[in-house]
Amino acid sequence: MPFSDHPDAQSDVSRHLPLTPAVFEILLSLADGHRHGYAIMQTVEARTGGEVRLHAGTLYRALARLTEAQLIEELDSSSDGETDERRRYYALTPGGRDVAAAEARRLESQVGAARAQGLLEGTT
Amino acid sequence: MSRRTPGPPWVVRLYRALVLVFFEAGFRTRHGQEMERLFVERHREVRERGGRLAFLVGAGFDVVRSGVATRLDARRTTRAAGMGPVRGDDRGGGGMDGLRKDARYALRTLWKNPGFTAIAVATIALGIGGNTAIFSVVRAVLMGPLPYEDAERLVMIHGEMRARGVTNFPMSPPDFRDIRDQSTVLEGVAAGFTFAQSLTGDGEPVQIQTGLVTHDFFDVLGVDPILGRGFTEVDTRPNEAGVQPGAPGALPTVVLLSHALWQQRFGGDPGALGRTIEVAGITAEVVGVMPPAFELLLPPSATVARDVDVWTAARIDYDNAPRTNVFLRVVGRLRDGATVEQAQAEMDRIAGDLTAAYEGKAAAGFALSVEPLVEGLTADVRPILLALFGAVGFVLLIACANVANLLLVRASAREREFAVRAAMGGSRRRLIRQMLIESGILAMIGAVVGVAIAAVGVQAILALVPSDLPRAGQVGIDGVVLGFTFLAALGSALVFGLVPALQGSRVDLADSLKDRGQAGTRSSVRLVRNAVVVGEVALSTVLLVGAGLMLRSFVELTAVDPGYDAEGVLTFDVSLPFGRYPQASDRDQAMGELQRRIGALPGVESVSAAFPLPLDGNLFNGRYGLEDALADPSAYRQAAYRAVRPGYLETMGTRVLEGRAFTEADHADSASVVVVDEKLARTLWPDASAVGERMLVRIVTPEPEWVEVIGVVEHQRSEGLAAEGMEQIYFTDRHAGAFASSWVVRAGVDPAVLVPALRRAVDAVDSDLPIASVRRFQDDLDEAMGPTTFALTLIGVFGVTALLLASVGLYGVLSYVVRQRTAEIGVRVAFGAEANNIMGLVVRQGLTLAALGLGLGLAVAVPLSGAVEAMLIGVAPTDPVTFLAVSGVFSLVAVAACVVPARRAMRIDPVQALREG
Repeated sequence: MPFSDHPDAQSDVSRHLPLTPAVFEILLSLADGHRHGYAIMQTVEARTGGEVRLHAGTLYRALARLTEAQLIEELDSSSDGETDERRRYYALTPGGRDVAAAEARRLESQVGAARAQGLLEGTT
Repeated sequence: MSRRTPGPPWVVRLYRALVLVFFEAGFRTRHGQEMERLFVERHREVRERGGRLAFLVGAGFDVVRSGVATRLDARRTTRAAGMGPVRGDDRGGGGMDGLRKDARYALRTLWKNPGFTAIAVATIALGIGGNTAIFSVVRAVLMGPLPYEDAERLVMIHGEMRARGVTNFPMSPPDFRDIRDQSTVLEGVAAGFTFAQSLTGDGEPVQIQTGLVTHDFFDVLGVDPILGRGFTEVDTRPNEAGVQPGAPGALPTVVLLSHALWQQRFGGDPGALGRTIEVAGITAEVVGVMPPAFELLLPPSATVARDVDVWTAARIDYDNAPRTNVFLRVVGRLRDGATVEQAQAEMDRIAGDLTAAYEGKAAAGFALSVEPLVEGLTADVRPILLALFGAVGFVLLIACANVANLLLVRASAREREFAVRAAMGGSRRRLIRQMLIESGILAMIGAVVGVAIAAVGVQAILALVPSDLPRAGQVGIDGVVLGFTFLAALGSALVFGLVPALQGSRVDLADSLKDRGQAGTRSSVRLVRNAVVVGEVALSTVLLVGAGLMLRSFVELTAVDPGYDAEGVLTFDVSLPFGRYPQASDRDQAMGELQRRIGALPGVESVSAAFPLPLDGNLFNGRYGLEDALADPSAYRQAAYRAVRPGYLETMGTRVLEGRAFTEADHADSASVVVVDEKLARTLWPDASAVGERMLVRIVTPEPEWVEVIGVVEHQRSEGLAAEGMEQIYFTDRHAGAFASSWVVRAGVDPAVLVPALRRAVDAVDSDLPIASVRRFQDDLDEAMGPTTFALTLIGVFGVTALLLASVGLYGVLSYVVRQRTAEIGVRVAFGAEANNIMGLVVRQGLTLAALGLGLGLAVAVPLSGAVEAMLIGVAPTDPVTFLAVSGVFSLVAVAACVVPARRAMRIDPVQALREG
């Protein structure tokens, strides 16, 4: 993992945190494979039970910025034979995976703290 | 009952336009197509699932928000080489919390400047209110659904007689049957027509609208009765030859009631089914009730009543009906997937076959034309409404320009405040955001006030709209209209907020914080402000040209001599039911009695009856020709026929130009004599007098008949005031068959006073006869001017608003210039400059801006005025008088706007000015 081996890796990851719910959901939706924009939107919507609905502008701007920050990458669409050529496919980069994982850990620690404070009693 | 038609592409087009406007170009090229696709897919989902409105508003908001963000992203990336942190929260800085803080700060700032806030809000509210009002009309009239299933598949089929210049003609029963039987492109073809009859048997007789239709008429429209049954084929089987409806031996008459009549006559009782009503003396059984929202929305050219009270299944004997007797309006439904072009091709073929089979059709140039129902319905009003929508959009842009100028002034004044914020570490982005939030809040307050203005405006517009505007009843402010208002407000906020924000945030710290830092002397600000003023002068010039052209049309229209004198003429309908007055002689006798009784009433100068009256929308056309037409029927031409009782021309004030009008004797003999109008006389006998000449007509018999011209009268404008209309031939009503039902009374007394006496006169003849549509003839005339008056009023209001806004803008800029140059002017005065020179200095600057704007506006108005061409009457879109007048008016207003600041400049005290400067 070249990204994590980098001396500055830790700070590189942490400077992205915390993620907004929408960005975190986008990264999550790419965790199990590449998807195009519409599929990301559907996955996010399905996973959150309709809680997070992304409009086209927000989604594509987030994708553009995540690509720019090299947390996700665009796949060469011709590499997948059955895809519609006009669609761009996105996949997590190792760095993006690290950031998503770090965010998950951060959330987990918050949940842990909440549990320790007795906020979540009876619900686990 | 009504289902929304699939895929309104305007939503997608709007989305595309918004993306085009708001998104940064690079981003758009890369992602625009996919975004649109995602939008389309989501839109399809929500349309099935519901929540479309929320989705559309959300999507619109998203485009604006994300689009602006991409522009800011791009700007930042080009400036900073390194990448900033990626956060989903793209608002940067303090995030949501900071946003709230900014909003609070903005509200406080606005609150502290009540004058500025009030002016800005009022200006924006005016623009947004106007747009909301017009949009609510456009939406209901042009985009609203028809109360029919899959209405986009419905078409009208009109007859044409191309050799005689006749279009939009009804069809004869046998021709209709041929079309119905032969068409494969249309899955259903039905026909009907409407006319007024009397409803009797329950209190005072009333005149109602009746519709006679083929059994599948409502199936083709896709409308079911809400109670009872629709018509079946059995209901429309013809009576035996010679047996009239209602006569002994006739098949029963079955009717469907309108929802309104059902409520009125039967109190909404479902037990009305099976009961009977009496229409025109014929007893009919009620078998069903139509839905409350049902209207007969056919194109105006079809001349049918929109609100029909009683629907009857028409028993038409197709085998024996003549092909020359046309009265059916034909509606077809396209097969799924079939196009209008395919239907037209098929109708061309059918018309070709009919022409080959029937001699008369070839001579007339018979043809069939297919017109999509929705298009035909709104064809007349579409150009007017779209022009108004464009005009009011201009007003909003001008309002935005004014507010932008106000904000620019304020940004200059607040330069020091911004400099302090910048010095304390506030980024330029924060400043821009701060100012955009202020603009947004201004726009939203403006939108709220605007909706209130629109609510009033809609009522005012509805009071003005031509009475035949389709779906006018559905005009109102609903969720979609509010969504539009919201988007308009957002767009406005960006239009008027962005430039001042970018300008104002460009703070030169060192300069601004110096003790005497001069606000807003930068040339870029001046340039922007000047450009904004030039732009708004140009926009209002275009609007004023539009208003000027409409005014010229209005004047043209009022100057038209209609060929009658409407002043003091009262009209009303009394039709004698053929059921009880089967013989023409009976009808004529009753009408003669009525004419005598009304003529004897005090205050009545003259009275007569006719069918049809000018401007009443009724159609009664026939052919005319000379000897040569006997051998070659293509030599026939088409004229408007008029059946009139004696005294008609005198009562209407139509002048006899040659010969004489009808006498009682002509009428009594049902003599073969006619009176023609000047247009016909000119056509047939251009070089000689028409009086005493003979010509061929066909009015009572299937064969042409010779008649003698006894008089020539002036032409009456009948189809509207703007169009000259067809040649006219007057027959005595007795000769035509005694069916004149429109009465005209010229009286020296108030019509309202006359009505009870008229009622008594009619009762004395037959107490079962209803008097209907009593009105002043002048009202019909006013109504004929309705569309022009409507367009003139609204464009006029918009034009004047635009002119005022533009002059305020001009005034604002010049006042500001004077303030800016106080020191310079002071120096000039100190060095002995004349007051006049100082005045000239300011006025020159103002007029230069105005002239630039005016020139630009006139240049743009030339191509744009073509858009209103359809509404113009007797004036060219590039009418030089209008263009000159607008230039003149504008120059005067510009001078006026310059004078106040200029006088202030003249009074500048050099000592004071130099001390301050």
